[in-house]
This record gives sequence, structure tokens and C-alpha cells, in this order.
Amino acid sequence: MTLAALIGVGIVQALLLLLAAPLFSGFARVLRAKIQNRKGPPLLQNYLDLVKLMKRQEVVSEQAGWVFHAAPYVLMSTMLLVALMLPVLAVQSPLGVAGDLILVVYLFALPRFFISLAGVDSGNPFGGIGARRELFVSALVEPVLLLVVFVMALLAGSTNLGTISCKVAVGALPPSMAFWLSMAAFAFAAFVEMGKLPFDLAEAEQELQEGPLAEYSGRSLAVLKWGVYLKQLVLVALFLALFLPFGGMTDLSPAGALLSVIAFLLKAILFYFVAAVLENAMARVRFMKSPAAIWLALGAAVLSFVFYLAHV
Amino acid sequence: MDAILFLLLSLLCYCGAALVALLGGSGRAARQAAGWVSLIASLAGAISAAMAITASSPPTFTLLQLPPFGALALQIDPLSAFFVGLIGLIGVATGIYGMSSPTVGRVVGFFTYSFLASMLLVVTVNNGFFFLLFWELMTLLSYFLVIWKHQDRQTVNTGYLYMLVAHIGAALLLTAFLILYRQTDSFSFRLWHQAWISPGVKSTVFLLIFVGFGAKAGMAPLHFWTPATYSAAPDHVSALMSAVMKKTAIYGLLRFCVDLLGVSAWWWGFVILLFGAASTIVGAFYALTERDIKRLLAYSSVENVGIILIGVGVGMFGLAVQQPILSTLGLLAALYHLLNHAFFKAMLFLSAGQVIIQTGTQNLNRMGGLARRMPWTALTFLIGALAAAAAPPLNGFVSEWFTYQALFAASAVVSFAMRVFAPLVAVSLALAGALALMVYIKTYCSAFAGPARSETSASAQESNTAVLFSLFYLAIGCLVLGLGAPWIAPRIAGVVSQIAHIPAMAVSSGWQVFPVDPNRAVFSPLLTALLLIGLLAMPLLLIALLGGFRAGRRSGVEPWSCGYGYSSRMSLTASSFDQPVKATFQLLYWLRTLLDRPFQVIAEFSRSMVRLILRAEPVVETIVTRPTARLVESAGQWIQALQMGDIRVYCLYIIVTLAILLFAIFGRSGL
Repeated sequence: MTLAALIGVGIVQALLLLLAAPLFSGFARVLRAKIQNRKGPPLLQNYLDLVKLMKRQEVVSEQAGWVFHAAPYVLMSTMLLVALMLPVLAVQSPLGVAGDLILVVYLFALPRFFISLAGVDSGNPFGGIGARRELFVSALVEPVLLLVVFVMALLAGSTNLGTISCKVAVGALPPSMAFWLSMAAFAFAAFVEMGKLPFDLAEAEQELQEGPLAEYSGRSLAVLKWGVYLKQLVLVALFLALFLPFGGMTDLSPAGALLSVIAFLLKAILFYFVAAVLENAMARVRFMKSPAAIWLALGAAVLSFVFYLAHV
Repeated sequence: MDAILFLLLSLLCYCGAALVALLGGSGRAARQAAGWVSLIASLAGAISAAMAITASSPPTFTLLQLPPFGALALQIDPLSAFFVGLIGLIGVATGIYGMSSPTVGRVVGFFTYSFLASMLLVVTVNNGFFFLLFWELMTLLSYFLVIWKHQDRQTVNTGYLYMLVAHIGAALLLTAFLILYRQTDSFSFRLWHQAWISPGVKSTVFLLIFVGFGAKAGMAPLHFWTPATYSAAPDHVSALMSAVMKKTAIYGLLRFCVDLLGVSAWWWGFVILLFGAASTIVGAFYALTERDIKRLLAYSSVENVGIILIGVGVGMFGLAVQQPILSTLGLLAALYHLLNHAFFKAMLFLSAGQVIIQTGTQNLNRMGGLARRMPWTALTFLIGALAAAAAPPLNGFVSEWFTYQALFAASAVVSFAMRVFAPLVAVSLALAGALALMVYIKTYCSAFAGPARSETSASAQESNTAVLFSLFYLAIGCLVLGLGAPWIAPRIAGVVSQIAHIPAMAVSSGWQVFPVDPNRAVFSPLLTALLLIGLLAMPLLLIALLGGFRAGRRSGVEPWSCGYGYSSRMSLTASSFDQPVKATFQLLYWLRTLLDRPFQVIAEFSRSMVRLILRAEPVVETIVTRPTARLVESAGQWIQALQMGDIRVYCLYIIVTLAILLFAIFGRSGL
């Protein structure tokens, strides 16, 4: 594909992810309600919430500085950049010229920095505690994520997203134990980063008041929530791009484009479904117990590395 | 020759600045004059570096001949030029800072500027004997700077600990240099490079040099002196020590192990790599639980030295196994991170210094809310914190990206040890990165965000213009080093090819940087930055489309606190921030407490030794000299009583004497 076509694909997929993100989160909400034997909100409730929030007056705490104001925007812009770079609709990375997989992993750190800072900056006690917990969990997940990235990059011989995705899509990487374990560890890491039970306590609205989001309101809250939905979908897209990049376009054509959109939506629905079932099958545990589960993921990642070394 | 002229100008101006500071009195005018002179010196150094960094034949200038030891000559080859440039660029910031900071008084000013001059000499001299001489001078000057500000028991102990570690390091270096002298009969670097030295001797020399310089660089487990030292020293001195002095140790490592000896065994790089990884982890974990802002920054320096050492290790490994791509990547990552760390850490130390001056405390728990009182200082600190936390696309990330690429390239080589350890080191780097993120969020939050937690921090004032100027200079440096990577990386790669004696390789084209092979990975910091800024339009567009701007904003309300009255004590403090990490990794912190005690004992021991020596030294005096002197004196006084000045009494003495003599003579003859 030409560069212009790639950039076009990138813009389309970023918009697709942005617009579909609240839908997927709504889907997760509906699923949870069904599993818990409730009626639950309508599928499009998140869109209604966002529009409603946009029109509300924003109330800002007197402690808040400019970091507090900037954080929602930084989150959304960073996630859009990642959305532009991932091979979602095409097997190539639409914006591979900007950076590689290591950049993508580190790009997730940028909004984390700002959101956590904003949580403390607001002066709200819940904001600070939420920020602290989120940072702690992500500090534990980061090594898992990076080891998996390294194993995949070593298997593909490159850290370029497009190269890895292409090689997996055409079957140049024979599915090995290393591959499957990497996939499991990465899925786990993505699950944790998406803010699912039992790791994310931002979910526990009653106890922690949504962590760093506590002090936000009005349009800032709307942008922030939208950004969080987008982040979840982007993580799923990253997982799919690395491990299940099937159905992506190799050439630009209307049929291929339609097919790739449908393929992506189906894969994402499947991921959300599995995640929702897992999440609701789990109990909420004490926060300090969560490292134990993450050690398990680290174990899987290390094992996949060992299998890579042994060529299994 | 031009580069040498500028170097000499720089040296002269630093010495001039030191003299002006010392002799000019403690007034404001003298301080400013010294600052200006040092600024000229730093600029001259930077110009000299810019001239020499691409020169094919290094300009040399001989100052004097000292026959048994060789010539005292200054030489600026690309490696020296890189470090001269580093000293110049950071010297500019500390020079401007020094002009307005009252801490840089007479004595501190004198020592600071001579310290800069000594570092300049260390990185340009090309003779082992004089290298050690200037190395020692640098240590002594920094020692005085460390103990000058607070002369309490704790600081004095810190000074002893610093001296002890520095001198153990220097002793190892001396041993290594003497071995080389025995092999070559010379202290000249040129002869050391040309001589044939057996691999066994080379490896011995390597180990001595590595531990010697590692102690100075603050590598784990020899890092224990850094937090105490940086915490005690004045702010600009901590900045200089962390940003520049530590780096002279890396210079030494590169100069002796890579340039002069040539890497001869694969395990050299491997050892450095492992120690580097240990330093990143140790530094990051211990930084996280610090409450003292300067100790925290010191531990973060340990972490960053670890990252630099990882690069050096991969580079040296590449040289040993003759993989020039690997060596280029490793050494490029190391030198790049060295430069980046100097910029952001100098800025963090200087702005932390301002915070300490305003709040009167180094305790993070007693700060807070400073972003409203000192907005510009807060902004620069935030940029520095983002860079230090390796947030893309700032400079800290760019060099870490190169480090990852170096490790990735190392994971693909034949050596099994490297294939196992390179990815694990990358994991330690990722963990350290995530922890560094936490460290800097905690620091910024505790100092600048949220409500003020003490009266002094509620009434803090913005830093003055000169200080802000130096902070912004460093902040812009961070941005330029990050976004300008495609133009800066090839320069550093050129330096690397000169040090390692390998052909230069392309690491960038257009807006992109890549690890020699563009198919392996590409990264464009500038494009990333532009896109991040451009995409900010999207949420704004969404708000505009959905009519969000009409709703307005109400600010100045109290944070929500479950319906109770809000108090600033409800907000998160630095100590509560790291509690989960402390609880999960108890073992590491227990180890630190365990290991800290012997060092305190050593420091206390050296203090009591000095006291003992003070008492032992005058033993001869108290037993022999002083009693004799006292005896002579009292005898003299007694004799003086006879001398009355009356001529009649003197006549009487004569008659009495005569009588006694006559009696003696005649009495004996029996008459």
C-alpha cells in the first residue's frame, strides 16, 4: 500500500476505535448485568452518558492546577496516536514511520503519568489513593508486558509492529509454546491494564470513588471517560494485532476494507465476551493480594522466554 | 589548534572565576562577576567541543615535561570533546544559577569553579600519572564542597564515607596504572594503546579499573555514599556531581577499557551489563521510598548510571565478539543517555534546590501546593520528571529506546549467556522504568500538587529570573535532545566509531532514528510529538460538536470528601504513596537497613580515627618538648631574679664570687 493509502486507513481505524469504544464498554456492562441476573442498561447507554456529561457545568476543585485540566486531553490524544499506529484494519502498521512496539508500550505511560498526577493534584483523598493503586499495579504489569514484547520481537526479528503482525498473519511464525504462552501472558496483562476485576479498584465505585476520576465533572469527565473506553479498546486491538492479526487488508479495496472491519469487530467482541465472563467469575480481593496473580503472569512470560530459548 | 585554544581559554576562565570568587569578597557584585567569567569559560568549553568532535586528528597541546612521568599534555579527541561539551553545557546552567544563588558565596564559589576546571583536565589529559593527579584534585574539591554547607556530625561522617570510597577507588586505579606502567615503562596513553599486553594482565587491569570507576559512578553495590553526599552538598554541587562528575567515571571506563586497552574478553561487557541492571533496580526501588527530595534524586542517579552501564556493557560485549553493530548501538545508547541524564538531572536538582530554599525543608511530606506559588519552576520540574520517567517523546525515552534496541540486538547473537540475560536485563529496565514513573509522580505530587502541607510552602515565592533562565535552558535542552534525535544520534555514533575503532554506521535518516538496520525498528520523536499535540484537537472537536463549551466551568470549590469538611491533611503524602511497594518488596528494604549499618559504623570509625590522630599527633610535644621548654623558661625566670640592674649589687656579686673562688683555692691547698 502507498503511504497515502496507509495514512487513510490509519485515520479511518482511529475514528472507528474512537466511535466504537463506548459501544464495547456498554457491551461489557450489559454482559455483566446479564451474568448477575440483572436487566442492565441499554447497549447505547454510554453514548447517552457522554452527551449528557458534555452539557453539564464543570466544577473544579480549588487545589487543582493545570495538570488536572490537561490530563483528559493527554489521555485521549495519546490513545488516538496508538490507535493510528496499530495494524488493525491492515496487516501493516498505518503509521509505522512514527515508531515501533517499544514506543507503543511506553506511550501508555504518558497518560498514566498525567492521570495519576491529576488524581493527587485534585486534592481529593480518593484520587490520591486510586492513583497510587493504579501505578502500583502497572509497575508490576510492565515487566510482563515488556518480556512478552521482547519474545515476540525476537521471534519476528524486529520490533516494528507491522513486521510482527505481518509475520504472524502469513504464518511465518509457526505457533510454538513460546507463542502461546506469550499470548496468554499478554492477554492477562491487557486484562489488568483494561481495569478489570480484581485488579482495578477504580471499578469499585463504592469504595474508591473511581480513583483518579473522583474529582472530575462535566466535559472533562466526559473526555476522560471516553479516553478510558478508548484505552480499553486500544489494548484489545494491540493484543489482536500481535497475536490474532487475521482478516487484515494487504491491499486497499472496498471488499477488503469491509471484511477487515467485520473481522476486527468480531474478534474484539469475542475478547470482551471472554473478559466479561472471567471478570464476573472472579471475586474482589484485597488490593495487596493482587501481586500474587501478577507473579503468575510474570511466570508465564518467563516460561515463554524459556521456551523461546529452547526453540519449542 | 583552535579547539585547544578554546579549551585553554575555558580552563583559564574557570580559574579566573575561582579567584574572583575567592578574592572578590562575599558581595553580590563579586558573585556575579565570577558567574559571568565562568559562563564565558563554559561557552568556550562548548565551542571547543563542537570544533573537536568531528576532527580526524586530535589537537594536542603540551604544557610541560616532567621526565619520570611524561608530558602534561591536553588532547581533545572525539571522546574527550564529548565530555568537554558536557561539562560546558551543564556549566552554563550552574554558572547562571550561581550568579543569583546566595549559597554560591566566596568559598563555595572558589571550590565550584576549580572543581569544574579539574573535571575539564580529567577528561582531556593524556597521561596516566596526571590523570590520577587531577582525578584526586577533583575528589578533594568535591569533598570540600560537600562538607562546607552543614558542618554537623552527620555531614562530617558523610564526608568521611565519601573520601573513603573515593580513595579505595583511587587506590585500585593507581594499582591498575602501575601495572600498565610496568608493562610499558610509560604513563603515556599513546604507548598504553600501542603496547602488547597479555590478556591475563588486561583482564586484571579491567577489573581494577571497573571497580575503581564504578565506585565513583555510584554503581550498585558501591552506591551507598551517593544519597548522603548529594543530600548534604549545596544544590548546584549536587547537580554538578550527579550530572557531570559521575560521568567522568564513565569517561574513564570508556577511555581505558574501550579505547586504550581494547576489549579482549566477552565477559567484561557481560559483568558491566549485570552490574548495570542491578543498579537500575536498586536505584529505582530505593528512590521510591525516599522522603528527602535530594536523596531521592540521588537514588534516581544510581538508576540512570545503571542504564548507562547497560549500554556500555552491550557495547563492550559487541567489541569482544566483533559485532560492530552491537557495539555501535550499545555505546551510542550509553553516551546518549549520559547526555540526557545530565540535562534532566541537573534541572531536577536545581529546581529541587529552589524548592528547598523556599520551604526550608528537604522533606517531601512538608511541601505541597507549590505549583500555584512557583508555576514556572513547577513546569520545568514536570518536564524534567517526564524526561526522567522516560515518557515519550522526551530525551529520556529516546536514549532508553536505543538501550532497548541494543539489548534486542544483543539477544539475537550467538552467545548463550547473552541470549538469556539480555532480555532479562530489558525486563529489569522495564521494571525500573515503571518504578521511575512512580517515583517522579510521587515527587511532583508531594512537592507541587495538591494542598500546601506547611506554612512555609503556603507562602513560597517563585524563583528569581536568573534561576528560571537556567532551568528553562536545561528544559529546552531536554526537548532538543529528545526531538532532535535524528540529528544528534549520528554525531554520537561518530564519537562511538572513534572510541571503539570501528567504521561509523548510519543510525538516522530524515526524521527517523533506527538501530543501524531500518527494518528492525524505526522511531521518529519529532513526528510522535507533533501527532500528540495535533491529536489534542480531537477531544476539543468532540466537545465543540456536542456543545460542551456552552456549559461553562465553576472553580474554587473544595474537593469532595464524603460530605465531611475538607482538610489538607486528607491529601496523599509522599510516605503513603509508596506503602504498597514497601509492603510487597519488604526484603529489598530490609536488606538496605541491614547494609546501611556497617557503613554508618565505617563512617563513625573514620571520624573517631581522625580524633585519635589529632590526639596522637602531639604526643612527642606533650611528653618531651613542652616540659623541657617549660623547665628552661622557669629557670630563666629564676635567673632573671638575680639581674636587678643596680651596679652595686653587681659589684657585690663580683666580690662574693671572688671570695668563693679564693676560699675554694686556698681551702683546698690547706692553708
